[in-house]
Amino acid sequence: MNRATVDRRLLAHQLLRAAILAGFAFLIVQLDRSGNLTLYIAPRMSIYVKLSALGLYATAVYQLYAALQTWIGRRAADCDCDHAPSPSLFKNVLIYGLFLLPLLLGFLLPDTLMGSTLAAKKGMSLGGSESISRQAPPRQTPAAPTPAAEQPSTEPAAPLDPLDAMFPADIYTESYARHAKKLYGQELIEVPEKQFIETLTTLDLYRQHYVGKTIRISGFVYRDGATPEGQFVVSRFAMNCCSADSMPYGLMILSDEAAKYANDSWLEVTGTLGLSQHGDQEIMILQAIDAVPIEPSDTPYVYPDYDFGLD
Amino acid sequence: MFTRKRGGIIVTTLLLRILPPLLTLGCLGLAAMVFTGTSFSELTAWQPDTSHLQAFKIMFISLILEAFPFILLGVLFSSLLQVFVSDEMIRRLTPRHAIGGVLFGSLLGILFPLCECGMIPVVRRLIRKGMPAYIGIVFILAGPILNPIVYTATFTAFRSRPEIAYTRMGLAFVVTVTIGLLLYRFMKTSPLRESSSGGSSVPGAALAMHAGHHAQGHAHDHHGQGHDHHGHDHDHHGHHHGHDGAGGSRSRLSSTLSHASDEFFEMGKYLIFGALLTALIQTGLSREALTGIGEHPWFAHIFMMGFAFILSICSTSDAFVAASFAGSFGGGSLLAFLVFGPMIDLKNTLMLLSVFKTKVVLWLIALTFVLVLAGSILTERLFLN
Repeated sequence: MNRATVDRRLLAHQLLRAAILAGFAFLIVQLDRSGNLTLYIAPRMSIYVKLSALGLYATAVYQLYAALQTWIGRRAADCDCDHAPSPSLFKNVLIYGLFLLPLLLGFLLPDTLMGSTLAAKKGMSLGGSESISRQAPPRQTPAAPTPAAEQPSTEPAAPLDPLDAMFPADIYTESYARHAKKLYGQELIEVPEKQFIETLTTLDLYRQHYVGKTIRISGFVYRDGATPEGQFVVSRFAMNCCSADSMPYGLMILSDEAAKYANDSWLEVTGTLGLSQHGDQEIMILQAIDAVPIEPSDTPYVYPDYDFGLD
Repeated sequence: MFTRKRGGIIVTTLLLRILPPLLTLGCLGLAAMVFTGTSFSELTAWQPDTSHLQAFKIMFISLILEAFPFILLGVLFSSLLQVFVSDEMIRRLTPRHAIGGVLFGSLLGILFPLCECGMIPVVRRLIRKGMPAYIGIVFILAGPILNPIVYTATFTAFRSRPEIAYTRMGLAFVVTVTIGLLLYRFMKTSPLRESSSGGSSVPGAALAMHAGHHAQGHAHDHHGQGHDHHGHDHDHHGHHHGHDGAGGSRSRLSSTLSHASDEFFEMGKYLIFGALLTALIQTGLSREALTGIGEHPWFAHIFMMGFAFILSICSTSDAFVAASFAGSFGGGSLLAFLVFGPMIDLKNTLMLLSVFKTKVVLWLIALTFVLVLAGSILTERLFLN
């Protein structure tokens, strides 16, 4: 292999790599500019992703510089650490094709919201966060460290504050109990974007106390094979850091006009809370009083609220 | 002249080159069909379903994007390490005593967080320079996990379950220390392959020969492989003597960037392939299918370890992939994924085989498998329930 061929091949590699690196940097910038970055990445991670766009850009510039050096015949920063690109054409096509695939998909396909398709694959949660264990009848709750609860019984005639007896808690559910007491006093309980999962979890933990209360929730319509007639779920995707770990959370709605609402359409539903069976589980269900079609929210995904429990 | 014999050779070579990848693709396709429960008759009636493609795109792109910061960080550290920290310094700092050595190897990752891909050539050089082999191997196993970047990534991915991050570090530490002590006790000969570097690149082979020569204190001349000595005006692993401090900071910077971008492409292809596989599985496989596996007491662990092996994803971003399975799989199997994957996976094994003897690699895999399996089951019983 003479010098000329090596250099040309190296040049090709360097130019291609510069293009790919720049392509990724540009993809991130373009997503950020169009406001669609949060469709893929949680907001708290977006600053790091934007920084990495800078890093990618810097590396792309360097590759161009190295390509220039190769072009004028000088072999710059020769790093002989087994990083020489493979001489096989097939392997190179495969590898660079692998890098080009996300770029092509990213630029050519439109940016969409996660919807029913993914919700069906990931599995819908109908009672808030599944990692908070639901205690069986509250009388089995271990002695809570909260000073107010003195007797682990559900008798409303407990000393001090009747609410504490209604909403017993252990150290894991302490903040939910506090939130539950706050919600209990409200006329209309709204499931907000900021504390979406937490509110649903709170309602589900102490669901028997919220039967008959008015709840308002907004999200996209979801149905799957197990959803009975006249019912559908209003749900949102909750993202921890990126869409790979996002999970759909929702509330089952019972409505006479259920058939009117197509999957993935956005609704704001107000209704009365009740209990129902879903498979072999008891779940919350909202008897719809009012359902208003809305535009998809500017922040379609919800995120865990790190201020929850710190009030 | 096109003779039958030449024709035969060309065809054979073509077949040998094309068939294995084609077969792999075919197998993957069949596996995908099995996973999604499609039969051949369904395939012929298949029409492109854009919602699935879009779902796939969302998962695929987001996995890649969120891993970028961590990969770039890891690559940068790796390059800085290789350019600015001399091997002699490490060799001088290495303790000689068994326990100290094992601890040193396990905890070195805290100081020098390297992605596993950058680590193996470094360790090979260190061992050749005189670092005891068992410490080097412990470093290979522990480095990708026991470092602040991976800890942060794990903590971030499992924000509501910090115990996953703690137990990941703890179990990894226990496993690597155990393996290190076992190696110290039982590995008496050098684990390195004696031939020159297993890499196919010619500069690599020349480099290994250089390293060998240096170890014998021979003066060397760069065997003319287009090794232009004038280009080597910067710190260079294996070429430190005579080059120390000869490069200015600008050439060190360009060396860092050069190494960083090369490593980015080396590692990036595994990330993208891993993201591809994960996105395919997430889009194609529904939760119910996985839940059956996920709830099994110990098969779930083996499944996740096998998955981690095939996925070969960088340890700075595998926590996010694991988090996406948190709904169906228990903490113990996630832990097995998070501890086994960075230590032993497909990409890793290939690289290890190019550096170490086959028997050593096989023993490593077996030991790691057993220890991680037992450890994750035990940890789940004790700490995660």
